[in-house]
Amino acid sequence: MADKKDDDISKLSFEDAIKELTAIVGKIEQGEIALQDSLEQYERGMALIKHCRGILQQAEKRIEKISKEAGDSKEE
Amino acid sequence: MGKEKAKIYTVSQVNGLIKGVLESNLPGRLTVAGEISDWKEHSPSGHCYFSLKDEKSNLPCAMWKPNVLRVRFRPENGLAVLASGFIDVYVPRGRYQLIVDEFVPAGVGALQLAFEQMVKKLRAEGLFEDKHKKRLPAYPARIGILTSESGAAVRDIEDSIFNRWPCVKLFLYPVPVQGEGAAEKIAAAIRDVNRRNKKLKLDILIVGRGGGSREDLWAFNEEVLARAIFESQIPVISAVGHEVDVTIADYVADARASTPTKAGVVAVPDYVEVLEQLGSMERRIAGELRAGLDLASQRLETLLAGAIFRNPLSLVHNREQQVDEVRTVLVGSVRELLASARKLVSAGYEHIVKIEPHRLLGKMAVDVGRLGSRADAAIKSVLTRARMGITAGANRLAGLNPKAVLKRGYSITTVKGTGKVVRKREEIEIGDLMVTELAEENLIESKVTKK
Repeated sequence: MADKKDDDISKLSFEDAIKELTAIVGKIEQGEIALQDSLEQYERGMALIKHCRGILQQAEKRIEKISKEAGDSKEE
Repeated sequence: MGKEKAKIYTVSQVNGLIKGVLESNLPGRLTVAGEISDWKEHSPSGHCYFSLKDEKSNLPCAMWKPNVLRVRFRPENGLAVLASGFIDVYVPRGRYQLIVDEFVPAGVGALQLAFEQMVKKLRAEGLFEDKHKKRLPAYPARIGILTSESGAAVRDIEDSIFNRWPCVKLFLYPVPVQGEGAAEKIAAAIRDVNRRNKKLKLDILIVGRGGGSREDLWAFNEEVLARAIFESQIPVISAVGHEVDVTIADYVADARASTPTKAGVVAVPDYVEVLEQLGSMERRIAGELRAGLDLASQRLETLLAGAIFRNPLSLVHNREQQVDEVRTVLVGSVRELLASARKLVSAGYEHIVKIEPHRLLGKMAVDVGRLGSRADAAIKSVLTRARMGITAGANRLAGLNPKAVLKRGYSITTVKGTGKVVRKREEIEIGDLMVTELAEENLIESKVTKK
């Protein structure tokens, strides 16, 4: 966990971020980890929460069109 | 006509006449109620031949391929139908038949019958079973919508999603949702996005349209669409018509939204709730961390209150004392060890000196010499004793010789003639002659005169 940096978090999907976050909350709440680790986990948890909130705010509310002929979506 | 001489007709003429009479006297179109029997589909023409029957009678029927394909339900024997068409005479066989161009099931409607037949067929194949239902992702990021570009449904679906979950990306794949070929096109679109999904990365597909007549919704009851939905690797949500409309697509999809406006509820979470969850998780981990820190600082306080922290040097002094003690013991035992080691070494040296090998050998030689003398002496004494024994034995033997006794003055008297030694009085009689032997071989003869 400690080797994961914040820029890894920024690449996570909401689904993956919240999955990891849920795991962290569980671990901290069950007291399974030492204080030193729980500090790290806390920091990572907070970063994940921030990331999730960021995703929720990125609302473009746009709808793109895909069609058979185009072969591709413009969006990647 | 009657007076005229009887006219001879050919077979063809008769059949032609009948054809003309029938066609001119029967209504151009008839609708006949009956039960289908002897249904046969001809290959490869695709035309179908069968009979309509009631309790009393049988009517031969034919249905040409294009009309057969338009029938939504499956005509089967025993099915009560209203068949519409016209009576035709097939001149080569002299046979009249009803050429059917449209079937309507008697009782239930054609579409209802077709729907029921399709439900039965696909259910039997297991297409509706829960075990095939894919789980929808909890927080989809990209959703594909397959519907008509022009309908209201696309707006309804879009709004219902964005109102709950604005951070999702929507992709519209325009498809016709009613009319000829609509089902095939929607099915092809589903297969197309599945094929391209490595790039498209769609989490969910929504297939739907707004309300309409049963006929309008029909594409969503067709087998080709049902199979495409079933085979889709991307989870599919159906969102067709109004609440009351249920289609085959609803049965086979992984989830069903009763209308396009409900698609969002089925497809995405509510971001207000998710934000609350995030806040709750934030509070929980912060709270846990604070509790953990409190506990740790309490422990620290307890430790700081202990004797060690009140008089930290006492620990050092204690340790130093221990070190001194250990050192004393250590030095003592090292000395002892050295002394006993030295002792052992010198004892060992002396021992080695004592048993110097050449001295050992000398001693052994002396011992061997000594042993030799002792053996000689022993043998000599044995021999002496043996000799003495022999002499003694010889002397004793000599003593036992009766003649030796004679030398000491004794004599042996025997009866003359028998030679018996006389030991007792009874052994002789008066008058017997006796021989008395003396030493030196001297013999005396005598006569017993008195006993």
